Amino acid sequence: MKVKRGNFFSLLVIAAIICSFTLMTPAVGFSAGKPIVIGGSLPLTGAYAETGQWIEKGMRFWADEINSKGGMLGRTVEFKIYDDQSDVGKAVTFAEKAITVDKVDLLFGGYPGTAARAVMPVAEKHKFVYVSMGGHMKSFEQGYTYSFGAPPLMGEWWYEGFFHWLATVPADKRPKRAAVYTINNPVGLSLMDSINRWTKKLNIEIVINEKYNAPLTDATALIVKAKQSRCDILFANGFFPDGVTTMKAAKALGYNPKAIVQGIGSVVPAWVKELGKDGDYVFSGTCLSGQLSYPGNDKLNAYVKKTYNLNEYPLYFGFGYSWMQTLEQAVAGAKVLDQTKIRDWLKANKVNTIAGPMTFDKRGLPEPINFGTQIINGKVELISPKNVQTKEPVYPKPAWEK
Amino acid sequence: MDAVLIFQSLISGIMMGMVYALLGVGFSLTWGVMHVIHISHGAFGLLGAYAAYSLLQYFGVDPIASAAMSVPLLFLMACGLYQLLIRPITRAKNIIMASMILTFGLAIILENIMALIWKADPRVLTPAYSSGALIVGPFYFQYPHLVGFGLSLVGITALYLFLKKTYTGMAVRAAWQQPEAARLYGVNLFQISMITFALAVSTAGAGGICLALLNSFEPHSHNLWLIYLFLVVIVGGVGNVIGTALAGLIIGVITGLSMAFLPFQWVNLVTFGLLMVFLIFRPHGIFKQEGL
Repeated sequence: MKVKRGNFFSLLVIAAIICSFTLMTPAVGFSAGKPIVIGGSLPLTGAYAETGQWIEKGMRFWADEINSKGGMLGRTVEFKIYDDQSDVGKAVTFAEKAITVDKVDLLFGGYPGTAARAVMPVAEKHKFVYVSMGGHMKSFEQGYTYSFGAPPLMGEWWYEGFFHWLATVPADKRPKRAAVYTINNPVGLSLMDSINRWTKKLNIEIVINEKYNAPLTDATALIVKAKQSRCDILFANGFFPDGVTTMKAAKALGYNPKAIVQGIGSVVPAWVKELGKDGDYVFSGTCLSGQLSYPGNDKLNAYVKKTYNLNEYPLYFGFGYSWMQTLEQAVAGAKVLDQTKIRDWLKANKVNTIAGPMTFDKRGLPEPINFGTQIINGKVELISPKNVQTKEPVYPKPAWEK
Repeated sequence: MDAVLIFQSLISGIMMGMVYALLGVGFSLTWGVMHVIHISHGAFGLLGAYAAYSLLQYFGVDPIASAAMSVPLLFLMACGLYQLLIRPITRAKNIIMASMILTFGLAIILENIMALIWKADPRVLTPAYSSGALIVGPFYFQYPHLVGFGLSLVGITALYLFLKKTYTGMAVRAAWQQPEAARLYGVNLFQISMITFALAVSTAGAGGICLALLNSFEPHSHNLWLIYLFLVVIVGGVGNVIGTALAGLIIGVITGLSMAFLPFQWVNLVTFGLLMVFLIFRPHGIFKQEGL
């Protein structure tokens, strides 16, 4: 069939118009250009694998979400995640490798605090924005300008929520004598800051104040000392393994103070799952919770319910998501992948995360964030401040269940 | 110093030490008899712990019964592993080094398999008696400690009697003390090595269950257990069952007394300081005499 010259020209114009419309319309799930690569390492095996894997899940959930909306700056995002095997040295090596060899576009935050603390100077040296949990207060006081905690995991703030609630308990009903056992590492020691300040303020005498080195294979002596010293509040400033050992010994030896406050271990999902009723009534703190009303929390809870059959997203899933949320807003705000421009945008603007809105000071820290928690009927409930309270705290601690 | 605190710390220290001894006795045997430093020994212990965890969670099987099931299963599994992996390296020039490298790899593989099956989440073995105690006057004997101690005592005694009283056991001893003479007397050294390796792995499984009664565990926990394995074996003497048991008790007493008298942060320093002392002054362990 012969096509007339005029008709052919018309067809060409129509085809060009259709093509230009296709290119101009921002298609959902489609973005042009090379993907933005976000690199770094997580402890996917080794001592911190459980938490590391939850962070990865949170980050990947964010990536799927952002890619389905067309990506960042019109480009899809993808991760280059190395497994640092819970080794701080390897975390540093992989951060260097991601920046210098892989030439990633962005860096993601690592875990635990010791690794994040070690990666912060690497990020600073290469002028890469590093949004992570940080390595407690000291790591943010080194003069770094490219590191941000969004939210940070700050031992110094960890018990603030609990103490704020305790201050509302009538003075005659408050504990009088405290036993404080702290794991001898930067995380454990950072918890002492709020304990020292608040016990003084609330007139609680610290009768025992001892440090121990991991592993704590037996807590019998710790509990016997606390019991004999008639301590009516126990601060077990450690992680999951030492927390479990301490709780089991406390129950077996019939030690039931008015309150047990546990460091980081009790907010790990395994605490409730593995200890059952024996893990109940333990106080702690958090800077993130699926029970907060900030936008995004419902969506995350629905996802973990559907995917992992959990009623609420685990803390570290939230961390991974929140750090990426912050980075996303900073890139969108800066409109380029220039690290200094991203940093400057973060220093000058507010980000909205699942942990709430945040602005950052010159250290890269938001205003102190902490919510008091207590495990009640196998669930981590928010007890403080009052405006986020999900349940009235149970105090004094009921007797151990037989 | 309070007598209750001292006694209580001593009790739990001794019970704990005995569990380390059960976990370590097989490690000591493979090292002594076969010259194989079995780095994945703790990982097999952890396998026993995970098996007990699953049996308790899904079928309500008590860890003591789990130990009875795991021990023969691990024995059979270890026989297969011996043929497949360990036997070939006994031809190596430097068996100790070759075995360390091979079993280090095996430990990593086992760790990853366990992480795949049971996930990286920490686990706690919680039978009904997991946080109960027998109260005698002012003293508390925690049931998990008692069960762990009892199982360890039975395990070590059974192993000792097997080595002392049975023909196969005597052949194991002969292979350890005079391998060439044993071969001349018709002892099949490969078969004996296989039995030794399988026995060792079985005791690791039982020891792992006992340790899981006391502490939480994760796929990488075997690395920590390995430190205690070296401790009991070096203090007790390589290949020495009684020495290993005694080492467990000594470590328990020292740990218990340190907990009572010293700041807690010094306990590990004292315990592992003991390792240094033995390595310098008594590298052969408590007993001068080599053997089982």
